[in-house]
Amino acid sequence: MELFDLMKKLTDCDGTSGDETNAAAVAKAELEKYMPCEIDRMGSVVGSTGAVGQPILLDAHLDQIGLIVTAIDETGFLKITACGGADALVLAAAEVTVHGKENLPGIIVSTPPHLIKEDERKKARKITELSVDLGLTKEEAEQKVAVGDRITLNAPLKKMLNERVCGASLDDRCGVASLLLCLERLGDLVKELPLRVVFSANEETGGSGAKVAAYSAGASEAIAVDVSFAKAPGVKETVRAKLGKGTMIGFAPTLDHAMSKELQRLAEEGNIPYQFEVMSGRTGTNADDIATAGHGAKMALLSIPLRNMHTAAEVIDLRDVEATADLMAAYLKNKAVKKDA
Amino acid sequence: MLDTIRELSAINGISGRENAVCEAIISRLPAYCDYTVDAMGNLLVEVKGKTKAKNRVMLAAHMDEVGLIVTYITDDGLIKFTNVGGVETAVLLGRRVKVGEKGLVGVIGVVPIHLRDGDDEYKYPEKDSLYIDVGADSAEELKDLVAPGDAVTFDSEPYALGHCYKGKALDDRAGCAVLLDLVKEQPDFDLALAFTVQEEVGLRGAGCAAFSLNPDYAIVVETTTAADIAGAEGEKKVCELGKGAVVPFMDRSTVYSPKLFQRAQELAREKGFLMQTKTMVAGGNDAGIIHKTAGGVPTVTVSFACRYLHSPSCVIHRDDIDQMRRAAEAIAEELANA
Repeated sequence: MELFDLMKKLTDCDGTSGDETNAAAVAKAELEKYMPCEIDRMGSVVGSTGAVGQPILLDAHLDQIGLIVTAIDETGFLKITACGGADALVLAAAEVTVHGKENLPGIIVSTPPHLIKEDERKKARKITELSVDLGLTKEEAEQKVAVGDRITLNAPLKKMLNERVCGASLDDRCGVASLLLCLERLGDLVKELPLRVVFSANEETGGSGAKVAAYSAGASEAIAVDVSFAKAPGVKETVRAKLGKGTMIGFAPTLDHAMSKELQRLAEEGNIPYQFEVMSGRTGTNADDIATAGHGAKMALLSIPLRNMHTAAEVIDLRDVEATADLMAAYLKNKAVKKDA
Repeated sequence: MLDTIRELSAINGISGRENAVCEAIISRLPAYCDYTVDAMGNLLVEVKGKTKAKNRVMLAAHMDEVGLIVTYITDDGLIKFTNVGGVETAVLLGRRVKVGEKGLVGVIGVVPIHLRDGDDEYKYPEKDSLYIDVGADSAEELKDLVAPGDAVTFDSEPYALGHCYKGKALDDRAGCAVLLDLVKEQPDFDLALAFTVQEEVGLRGAGCAAFSLNPDYAIVVETTTAADIAGAEGEKKVCELGKGAVVPFMDRSTVYSPKLFQRAQELAREKGFLMQTKTMVAGGNDAGIIHKTAGGVPTVTVSFACRYLHSPSCVIHRDDIDQMRRAAEAIAEELANA
């Protein structure tokens, strides 16, 4: 399958934190092409090749940020709050889908100027002060939507120039795609490797999905794939990664230095484009929780550079997804060679 | 008429680039309509009715929509822009747009929430810091694809939203659709139609259109801000979706004739169409220039109540479509025979 088509499949379904059912079904169907898998107690998709040996865990999170319904107003508008780190700045007049009894189109209100005080013009309203317009009466809304239902931003995946694509939920479905692509690259070798693949739930709301899946997997070694910030106007100097310049190899006190170095060596050896991502402590990804689950694991982190994180205008370069897949595949092939020797 | 609204609103036509909208309207004009496109780009239509009217009535709707225009391309391939008509930063951040003739897919960048410190979490960036990303890394890559002066429009599909309808540019393609619908079958009396340009940049086309058509009366068919959203009370709602055609007594561009405003209300009762007025003096439209054209033209405005005006997601009520048509028709007939 073309990478764009795979990405389209993975981003066309919804899966806000804690409600990953639809995304899990799509991801599971893809992972099943390579290994038996199931959905665990937390809602994560967990696959295992069943091969003998010290398990290696590969993780990318399945969930996406979104909104959650807190009440239905007397006018039929939905009151909302964030589900994960949603950004109030990008919500005025935004198109959304409300995942009620059926999927309903909605528009987040944009407050007309006469209702905003002069000194509040320069600031966005807090998410809890916004509401969603369904074009329905209160009674109709109540029949179709319940408190706790999830809301996602609409942005079907589209191609831009070069190998860039834009859409919502690229964080972290592009990571999921890179793991699937890595498995495709490994071909028959997959069956021989003691792999545990986790598409984890609940990353955006605290990482509990990866934590329990890592415990169950009992791996002594793990690689997590997430997205990270790409250079863009207005973004602070210390963000240096560029779109299209390769996978970002994480270096951090919380990551295993030897693994990071080994990934770098393999990238050099295989001419796989890579960039550095150096962090001073925790990584803010599932890597933090996987490394310390159960008995603990040696941990590496690969990141795909992304612009406009947590908006419906997330942008990535498909070549970076490929580089991430290539580097993981190189690492795992190298493991297999060592095992044989 | 919903189909026409959908088709017309999907066409891109910011102020000064109304050509495609104009062509689409021309293609829908029946044979008893004679038209010319004037020097500014206004589409002027003479509709031959079954009888001659006592008074010459002009119905006007504007073809242009708000949007953006490319001002500069940076060395690293990002597109700088400014707004055409009133477009708030709030409805631009993290949105998709279509750039230039080729309709390149672009997004308007925003510094991620994680990288905005403290106070900046809710603060909108300065307008001139905004940029469009189409996936290029250099100006060179964009050489044959984008140039300063190119139009940028919202990437926003029209669709049903409950009892409502959502789309970009409903302001004022919905009005254009009403005009077309009024002449779908040959009207009982002669009419003049003006599909105007450049309304959103200061009511620039309509004056010339009115000057050329020289009507005795004018009816502006428009959309107007409705603030009937959660949390808005009383007069602050201004007008409400589903409550019929909005006929104002005054807005920021026109003080309407009290006599005509009164007559419109009587007509609503007599003919049984739903009509409301605006409960705040706000907004403005082509009436502001038409009413003072040449020796003066008594003008009435009939508007769709529209939520989130000037955003990628304008919302009107589907029940108002029929009410709008009936209101425009009744008022036109009244003025033609006054």
